[in-house]
Amino acid sequence: MTTPSGNPEDAPFDAGLQPERTLLAWRRTALSFAVAGLVAERLVAGTLGPVLAIMLGVAVVACAAGAYVLASRRYRRAHERLVAAAALPPGGRAVTALAAAAALIAVTGAVFVVGAGTLR
Amino acid sequence: MSYGAAAAEHIAGGDARIDGVSTRFPQRVYGQGQEPDPRFSLANERTFLAWIRTSLALVAGGVALEALVLDMDPTLRLVAALVFIGLGLLAAVQAWVGWMRTESALRVARALPGPAVGTVIAVGMVIGILLIVLGFVLP
Repeated sequence: MTTPSGNPEDAPFDAGLQPERTLLAWRRTALSFAVAGLVAERLVAGTLGPVLAIMLGVAVVACAAGAYVLASRRYRRAHERLVAAAALPPGGRAVTALAAAAALIAVTGAVFVVGAGTLR
Repeated sequence: MSYGAAAAEHIAGGDARIDGVSTRFPQRVYGQGQEPDPRFSLANERTFLAWIRTSLALVAGGVALEALVLDMDPTLRLVAALVFIGLGLLAAVQAWVGWMRTESALRVARALPGPAVGTVIAVGMVIGILLIVLGFVLP
């Protein structure tokens, strides 16, 4: 496959662009997390007070940005290893951490809803 | 390199193996079978991520019902919100369990599991939507 750089190692691993599509899926997931986190921060800002709310917002955006950067680095590594006919880099920890974060968000949402629904 | 040559290398043994035993996490998944076609593992990862975004969307929907203080029966609103958030939690669990089960099936060359909780989520969403409609109609 020809590439703009002429370097065969820069060619995609497969014609279906699987690693690239997976990178984009990680990116839109990280963006969804950032948006959901910031909206959640906005909702509870009145209850938490400004200092805690800012800390929460910064933490959420930092986590989402970290996931975005890690996914980009993992793509680079996956590409290098796949074109060298090695196995994919391990992804089990990232998958587990993200699932735990999603579950935590769901539980936090339930607490918020019960609090808002019963206090009002 | 052609894909066939890469696959042959994978079957010959991934480099994450030490003395034939994988050290990758989770062991329940990687401690068995052989390195699958990496394209299938990547597709499995994207399915996982799609479930995670589904989970986020369901939780966001449930939280929005309460946060927006919609003009509807408050009890039905709370129950509908909890239904959507419960489904969101279920989607997050499905994301992780489904990823592990699919990756395991790929490694031992078995048929892939279906989306185990797909029916529960579909039925639950219908119930949640009916509760919202009822909540608007009742008062």
